[in-house]
Amino acid sequence: MTELDPVIHAQARLRVVASLSALNVGDKIAFPRLQELLAMTAGNLSVHLRKLEDAGYVEISKTHRGRTPATLVGLSRRGRLAFEEYTEAIRALLDPAPSKEQP
Amino acid sequence: MTGSPRSTLCLKVVCVDPDDDSPPTDAAAALRLIQDQRSATARRLDPDARLLYWPWGVAWLVGFGLFFLRFPPGDRALVALPSWLPLTVLFVLLVAAGATQAVVSVRAYGQVTGDSARRGQWYGYAWALGSVSVYAGLGRISEHLPHDLAALLWSATAVGLTGALHMAGGAVWLDQDLFRLGVWISVINLVGAFAGPGWHPLVVAVAGGGGMLVAGALARRRQRQRQQP
Repeated sequence: MTELDPVIHAQARLRVVASLSALNVGDKIAFPRLQELLAMTAGNLSVHLRKLEDAGYVEISKTHRGRTPATLVGLSRRGRLAFEEYTEAIRALLDPAPSKEQP
Repeated sequence: MTGSPRSTLCLKVVCVDPDDDSPPTDAAAALRLIQDQRSATARRLDPDARLLYWPWGVAWLVGFGLFFLRFPPGDRALVALPSWLPLTVLFVLLVAAGATQAVVSVRAYGQVTGDSARRGQWYGYAWALGSVSVYAGLGRISEHLPHDLAALLWSATAVGLTGALHMAGGAVWLDQDLFRLGVWISVINLVGAFAGPGWHPLVVAVAGGGGMLVAGALARRRQRQRQQP
């Protein structure tokens, strides 16, 4: 059995990554909007985003919109790939390929 | 023994739900979580397609419809409306449709930046600059034309530009509903232009406006299928 990516294989971070994967490639979403989509507290979301950023799965950039600072969050290429591999692995667990021999 | 130093320290740590970090109970739960979250996000970030298509469809149906009733082929109006009414209604409805589109788009995509936002922005510039450059030329010519030919020139050009830009939008977003609508608008514009002055607004109102209403319903259906978990 393939090892499931421990960074993604946690409920909260899986929700974060799944949400970000729904954005188009090359897009980023503002932190408050992501927080609203996930219904998480700011502190909680920050903690999980930091773990995802440390793994190189998420890119966080800080810019200014007019005078107010804005934090933008998006999935990195590596993060998108990791999410796709994780989803594949989950699907394989649920529906093992018929060619595999039963023990 | 009460109030160990550990419990006070805990209060200073950002509150993290301990269950949060735990893995999903099983593979089925994980897959359900992924699908629910993706479809919920798509639903929130994709504006209802009907709100983007239908206001324009209504504007064409009513605006060009009134124009046909007031200025049909021949010299007699089918319905005795004031001559300023059809164009005024058309412009008011077009402005309302544009405003609806702007509000709906900002509410949906307002907090998303990146390539999609840039595409939308450049597409918007194409509409604005394209319209200004085309209509500036028309304005110079149409003052020398009789009323019915001037009306045909204006509406056939405006509808033609709309059809071309819809096709371009379909190409930018690989959106087949948008592209097909562009093809449809271009074809009915051709039909209306050959039918001639007086008939063109009828074709645009019924086939063009009606086509937009149908396209909106189809786009909405496709959207719902996509957003199902």
